[in-house]
Amino acid sequence: MKRRDFLTKTSLASSLMLVPNFMKAFEGLDPAMLGYKKLVLIQLSGGNDGLNTIVPYRNDLYYKYRPGISISKYKVLDLNGELGMNENLAPLKSLFDKGYLSIINNVGYPNPNRSHFRSTDIWHTASSSSEYLDSGWMGRYIDQYGKKPHSGIEVDDSLSLIMKGQTMNGIATKDAKKMFNNAKTPFFNKVLENQTAAHLSEHNLGYLYKTMVSAQSSAKYIYETSKTSKSTKSYPKNPFAKQLKTTAEFINSGLETKVYYVSMGGFDTHASQSNRQSRLLKTYAEAIDVFVNDLEASNSFKDTLIVTFSEFGRRVQQNAAAGTDHGAASNLFIIGKQLKKPGFYNASPDLSNLDSNGDLKYSIDFRSVYATLLEHWLDANHSNILGQSFKTLNFI
Amino acid sequence: MKQRHLIHLHWRSGFGIKPSSLQSAKALNKKKNVNSIFESSKKIEPILIDLSEFDDFLKTPYQKYKKIHGADAATKLRQKSQKKVRELNFVWLKKISSSQCVLREKMTLFWANVFVCRDNHIFHMVQFNNCLRTHALGNFGNFVKAIARTPSMLKYLNNNRNIKSKPNENFARELLELFTLGLGNYSEQDVKEAARAFTGWSFKANGDFIIRTNKHDENLKTFLGVSGNLDGDDVIDILLKQRECAEFICKKIYTYFVNPVIDPSHLKELTALFYKDYNIEKLMRHVFSSDWFYDEKNIGVKIKSPVELMVGINKTVPSVFKKQSQVTYLQKMMGQILLYPVNVSGWKGDRYWIDSNSLMFRLKLPSVLLNNAKISLKPKGEFEDDFGNFYNQKNQNFTVSDKARAYFETHYSKTPFKRLKAILVLPKLDEDTKEMLKIYQNQNAFQYCIQLMSIPEYQLC
Repeated sequence: MKRRDFLTKTSLASSLMLVPNFMKAFEGLDPAMLGYKKLVLIQLSGGNDGLNTIVPYRNDLYYKYRPGISISKYKVLDLNGELGMNENLAPLKSLFDKGYLSIINNVGYPNPNRSHFRSTDIWHTASSSSEYLDSGWMGRYIDQYGKKPHSGIEVDDSLSLIMKGQTMNGIATKDAKKMFNNAKTPFFNKVLENQTAAHLSEHNLGYLYKTMVSAQSSAKYIYETSKTSKSTKSYPKNPFAKQLKTTAEFINSGLETKVYYVSMGGFDTHASQSNRQSRLLKTYAEAIDVFVNDLEASNSFKDTLIVTFSEFGRRVQQNAAAGTDHGAASNLFIIGKQLKKPGFYNASPDLSNLDSNGDLKYSIDFRSVYATLLEHWLDANHSNILGQSFKTLNFI
Repeated sequence: MKQRHLIHLHWRSGFGIKPSSLQSAKALNKKKNVNSIFESSKKIEPILIDLSEFDDFLKTPYQKYKKIHGADAATKLRQKSQKKVRELNFVWLKKISSSQCVLREKMTLFWANVFVCRDNHIFHMVQFNNCLRTHALGNFGNFVKAIARTPSMLKYLNNNRNIKSKPNENFARELLELFTLGLGNYSEQDVKEAARAFTGWSFKANGDFIIRTNKHDENLKTFLGVSGNLDGDDVIDILLKQRECAEFICKKIYTYFVNPVIDPSHLKELTALFYKDYNIEKLMRHVFSSDWFYDEKNIGVKIKSPVELMVGINKTVPSVFKKQSQVTYLQKMMGQILLYPVNVSGWKGDRYWIDSNSLMFRLKLPSVLLNNAKISLKPKGEFEDDFGNFYNQKNQNFTVSDKARAYFETHYSKTPFKRLKAILVLPKLDEDTKEMLKIYQNQNAFQYCIQLMSIPEYQLC
């Protein structure tokens, strides 16, 4: 048989009709059993400068440390008489005013690492700065609670550590149709159609077959569930907004996915920071704005929590290139309708008490934030997932 | 020697075997085949790469260079060096795929994931990589001492900043935890004492190792129960005296070369042998000569690393290493970029290579490389990228060349399908997959080969 013949012969043969029994186990679970709550985690990748995002505009030290790149008190959007928002975050200001935004200051961890790779690793795995874990915290949540690849979706083409569990991984896709097509190349399909459960108990080979079956099953589920859900909101034309649009379509279609991870790049502002960061924050805020409206219009905003973090903040003192170098603790945004403490969750950063590198010290461990999300939003036991027990906070 | 055992031997000591070499090798016994593998790797052929444009790097330390030529020039030089390291990645992969010293290259790859290191200084990185290659089959003790002296490692784990007045424990800790003993075999105090022994270790602009005696701590230290004015080499010698050190390395060797599931009696056997003199070549000869190495339970059970997968396909049909950007793309999509390990503990390997996305990609790889199938997936952007570049990563088009087809025709067209299957696929075929493969019996050998490479069994070696 020629390849082309084979293509035409198999592309119509629906795998639906030939689903082996062991594959059906992956489908048809009652979503109510898992709860409706969704968590969307957004990473501002590269290290966002928290101090020029939420500006301590009454603090002389801030202006002293940043003679060239500070933001004038006349330009900030005042939040509490002490801290103000970067004007490019205007859409976020209205969320703040509505009580849909909580800002947690000084989030970090002991002995902060200033490498993008390592610090991202730490945030993804929820490890301390001296341990190396092979699995991500969302991955471990999927291990224990979701049990299917599509329980966690990374809106990208390849999977990050955060979504890799110990026995189960999430799945990455920014285009459900594309993934579905990739997963059903004629040969791939054929292997699955012919496959019975005979192999599944075997060691590594069984693991490969199982992963292949669950990948295809999830690809099909995501595509078929979400294909009719097309967003009617008009998102800005940029790739980050596109990622959020896809996320909204997934959520609004009723996918039983619990956790989403989106990474937005470009925040490594070592030089000429002001213009670059302004554009980035604007892009971020405008996309978030439409995203929230989109969820709101489908009545799913109340069940969705959007958390934005960065692998580190930046040095308080600006550098010689009108930029900032890698820092440590920074602020974190929680957006949602069911916030217990909208506005500022805790005290402003203390610019008079920096660490030996001249970076902000942390006062809230990021794992306490995770613990809270797990316990109070996802109804999960946090110490099982984080490996130890952390103090939970009361922002939700 | 049995064909199946021969293929197994070549997959574990290298990246598979060509049918043409198989015929002659079958006539020889196990001992002769093992000998010939070691014979081919006797030579040490370092990576050679033209670095004349980086001469300044050797003469002047970076900070001094910055003072003389200004920050912009220094940044440019640094970026040029970063780019060259990406080229080194390509050069290294091509070497892995084409070198006659197959075992030495496989061992180099193995050690690069034990002595994990990352550096954007091209001179130092080439030096580091060649250090792995030089000692790959040598004496483990000398190996550790040589690695500890490389500028890349001195920088990566901050040992060059480890001075008497302010000891830095980073290198000492990883030396104990990841390079020699493993967690649980030493105390926090041992880490502190070891760090003091390494104080003052550094390097000159040309890459030569020096001990800055005025920064070295000459006082009494007690490390793992041994007291004295210990220096770094003393610490390494004490480490080698611990049986746990031999066992720790043998565990890594066993899971990488034999089976991800360790058989305690075989591990004990290897540890006893290695502990005697830490001779890596002897250890590897023992592994490949043991009867148990050829037990069915050890054949076709290891999940290929992305590099093993690519190099293996390339061995059968040369198609992979045409363009640097393509090879970078493949490594990114499958999660193993040489010279860019995830963190100091390295890649976990085996099942950790596999998730839904990487597996779909790996299963599609043969049709992408050999059958002009399109793949539209993009790799992730870098942390340092600006917004535009972060999202503007390119997917790659691959087209199979006539040369690759011709190569296949010359080497395989007369190979019966049954043999082709035996050569390419080591695990026992799944019954259903076997049935399904029958559909392709009437195709040409090239198509059949692509189909074989697309089944999950091909992911194993």
